[in-house]
Amino acid sequence: MFQNHVKIAIRSILKNKLYAIINILGLTMGLSIYLFGGLMANYEYTHDTFFKNYDRVYTIRGEVNPLAGIGIGQVDNVPSGVAPVMKAELEEVEAIARTIFRDFLVSINEDNYYENVRFADAELLDIFDFEFIIGDKSALSNSTGIIISESYAKKFFGDQDPIGKTITLDHEHDLSINAVIRDLPQNSHFSSGVLPMLTRPLNIIIPMSAMERITDFQPDTNWTSTSTGNLTYVMLPETLDQQWLQDQLPGIYERHFPEEQRSFLSGMLTRPLIDANTALWDTIGLPVITIIEILGLMVLIIACVNYTNLATAQSMGRSREVGLRKTLGAGRTQLLTQFIIESITTTMIALVLAITVLEIIIPLFNSATGKILSIDYLSDLPMLLATALIVGLVAGAYPAYVISKESPISALRDSGRKGRGAVWIRASMIAVQFIFSVGILAAVLVVYEQNKKVEENSQIFPKEQVFTLDRLNVEQMEDRHEVLRNEIMNIPYVEQFSLSSQVPYEQTNTNIKASRVLNDFSAAINFNQLNIDDQFAVLYDIPIVAGRNISRDIAMDTHIRENKAVNVLVNEIAAKVIGFESSAAAVGQVFYEDEGDRGITTYTIVGVLEDRNILGMFNDVKPFFFFKRDASYRVASIKLSKNASFDVVDDIEEVWTEVYPDYPMQGKYLNETFQMVYMLFELATSSLATFALFALFLAAIGLFGLAAYMAEQKTREIGIRKVLGASNNQIIRLLIWQFSTPVLWATPIALGLSYYASNKYLEIFADRISLPYGMLLAAGIGGIVISWLTVATQAFTIAKTNPVNALYHE
Amino acid sequence: MLKLQDLVKAYRTDEVETVALNNVNIEIETGEFVAIMGPSGCGKSTLLNIIGMLDTPSSGHYFFKDEDVAGYSEAQLGVIRKQHIGFIFQSFNLIDELSVFENIELALLYHDIPASDRKERVNAVMDKVGIAHRAKHMPSQLSGGQQQRVAVARAVVGNQSMILADEPTGNLDTAHGQEVMEMLQKLNEEGTTIVMVTHSPSHADYARRTINLLDGHVVTESMRA
Repeated sequence: MFQNHVKIAIRSILKNKLYAIINILGLTMGLSIYLFGGLMANYEYTHDTFFKNYDRVYTIRGEVNPLAGIGIGQVDNVPSGVAPVMKAELEEVEAIARTIFRDFLVSINEDNYYENVRFADAELLDIFDFEFIIGDKSALSNSTGIIISESYAKKFFGDQDPIGKTITLDHEHDLSINAVIRDLPQNSHFSSGVLPMLTRPLNIIIPMSAMERITDFQPDTNWTSTSTGNLTYVMLPETLDQQWLQDQLPGIYERHFPEEQRSFLSGMLTRPLIDANTALWDTIGLPVITIIEILGLMVLIIACVNYTNLATAQSMGRSREVGLRKTLGAGRTQLLTQFIIESITTTMIALVLAITVLEIIIPLFNSATGKILSIDYLSDLPMLLATALIVGLVAGAYPAYVISKESPISALRDSGRKGRGAVWIRASMIAVQFIFSVGILAAVLVVYEQNKKVEENSQIFPKEQVFTLDRLNVEQMEDRHEVLRNEIMNIPYVEQFSLSSQVPYEQTNTNIKASRVLNDFSAAINFNQLNIDDQFAVLYDIPIVAGRNISRDIAMDTHIRENKAVNVLVNEIAAKVIGFESSAAAVGQVFYEDEGDRGITTYTIVGVLEDRNILGMFNDVKPFFFFKRDASYRVASIKLSKNASFDVVDDIEEVWTEVYPDYPMQGKYLNETFQMVYMLFELATSSLATFALFALFLAAIGLFGLAAYMAEQKTREIGIRKVLGASNNQIIRLLIWQFSTPVLWATPIALGLSYYASNKYLEIFADRISLPYGMLLAAGIGGIVISWLTVATQAFTIAKTNPVNALYHE
Repeated sequence: MLKLQDLVKAYRTDEVETVALNNVNIEIETGEFVAIMGPSGCGKSTLLNIIGMLDTPSSGHYFFKDEDVAGYSEAQLGVIRKQHIGFIFQSFNLIDELSVFENIELALLYHDIPASDRKERVNAVMDKVGIAHRAKHMPSQLSGGQQQRVAVARAVVGNQSMILADEPTGNLDTAHGQEVMEMLQKLNEEGTTIVMVTHSPSHADYARRTINLLDGHVVTESMRA
């Protein structure tokens, strides 16, 4: 019997090729996207599970004080001062360890590289069971010994024994290799970032005890520095859980958090280790992985609905077969089984195709993102089969029900008429499809427009024309900054050269609390600080609206710490928020900063710069003040003329090597700095657009199916109308109207949903596109037009049939 | 009213040619009541469809009000059809989703008639066929006779000068059949030309002329005294 069902299923698929292809294609698409989303989510959610103790390890996060106004709710780290006090107070905890990132110029043999290193507490090795190839857990116990990764050892020492070899940081600090660990798999928070460029693999581990010596940073007593990725890990004994740990944190916060830090972090939270890799999304407030899962499911639902619709429409042509089977004694259950087996067979074929698609896409995805997704057939097969089974069952249930419930007589007569209820149900299904797909489409358009605005706003700086040189803020390099300037200015096509502590689009905020009243900082205002030379405003073409630019010839324009006073520039908004009536009124006035032990610094405003969004992206224009401090420049900006040849970068590198032979050049166009962050938004657009495209395509197929079905139903009505004098055009209009009603009432619902979602997205940006109504309307109209095009062919075909055929149909 | 001259209708498939009507010559005057009879498959319905301009002849001439419409396109035929011809079918062919009133009104919707006018005319014709009390009912709530009365009303509401009826009583019991025939007779007395296909000799007796078809030929024509 079962074989007979499968045989009939395959034959019926072969017989109705068009329907079968549409069905299988739709399900393949739905399954591919759903499974891919699932694999990806599963991959992201199961990071670090290969560590023996992963389920007992937690990270401590900072809860951002809403009053801090930085637009995010959490950070994935806490100041490094937290760990020592937790260790002292919580005896139950098995191990606590911190890691802190730093970039260094690393010298091995005679070569110099910039490398991201991690300072780590020795207990890190108790928490994570790294596999030691050479050496053991004692490797971090003395402050000059370090651990390197296997691939790092291979890269720099080849087959030689790396143990005891020396690595020098910043040409100054010698460290010797104590141990080599096996490279971690890609699916660990140590090695995976959201984007390849944010990924910082675990290559060099340096004992925390060496940190103060090497960097002046005091990890055990620092309560002010927080930076993404500098995690504090806590391992609990098996008898304690996350809630216990969470319950201990408020007490520690109350007892130890310095008062001035509480305005930034209002508390501490715990997270299981397996969440560590997805922390970035939580920080931004975009639950990307959840969104991907939901969208994947939506597309799969759309594909299921499609099958249901088409299969029901198609079953009309098979009522004769059903009637015959019933007359011959087939029971309702048997018929139900037959049709469900048919849909499951279709789904299985789609599953095989979907797996093929995934096997093609996954390697491409992996090489583009540096992830290592894969289908593990051994463990995933039951899941895959179950998915197909459920999809087949869900998609096939309704058509099976409809067709098997008919009485044999009416089935044999093939009256082709079903009650209103059936059409109503299927029209609602179409509506659901269009709600999803038009909704996603509208969101795409809004996201796209907003991104375009971000990109357009970024044009205020000539980012394609500015080449930047990074990492100039090293003591040994500082005294040659001016040499570099002079040499580079001699290169043809170089128009300007400027030094600054940061360049546009870099998402770094260095703040001071500024007050106009000496000794009263209760109403102080947050000012972003940017250290610049006298060329910065010129190079970035920022007009001076009042006063003058800073000058290298005026002594007070250059900051010298001992002076406790310096002349500064502010931007217009800074002048306004601190209370000056106009930009001109601000010139010559002063404001103060309380630097604690170092006393109070007086800033005298000598000029006001026009407002420019230096941070760009989603930020508002912030109050900034600018001053010249020669020892603080990290980046050099070089403005090239528009017709500059590509060789100019070679010339710059040549000059660099002459001036700083010991340091590799870190050069890139300003545009790349912009793209680093902008990419995240583009990623959002392109992945959403993909979903929208698939969803719309599937929904259109579904509508085509419904139109085909309704057309069948309506031949008689159309015959009557024609006999009564309706013209072809009138009929086509009527049909298109009727076929697209579900779409018409789905549209407002879809637009409502996407209005809500888009607003949520836009909230991230300070400078948002005004009102997304036009965009939403466009998506709605787009959906309706697509639906009309889809049903038009059907409408034309039926409208053209001779009415006689329809009228004698019975 | 109309004149068929050497009319031929042949259906061609890949292998065989079937001649449904062979050299048919018929003339029907305005105001006549003609019955077409004959065994199943003799070409009655084909003839009616061609007269009703739902189908086109393979050769020959069809003069409708002195205009040869044999070579007209479907759209041209449609225009003439909606002005002059009303149809009544054996299976009523009402639209299930529309009420009695709406079904009748449908015939006027394609005639550029203002809504108030339409309402008046539909009400008048419903009174005439005695279905006014059922105006808001759906076809499924009516008996067969009532449904056919709605169909008759629909056929004449546009002031059509000719009604083509294809076995109008075929699905009705004797009493209801009688009722419909009397209604047609009344319409004929008021001046409407009626052409009716029927199997029933007693219903054919309502007509003044009977045309007998066999295998696509007109075999006899008889006039009632």
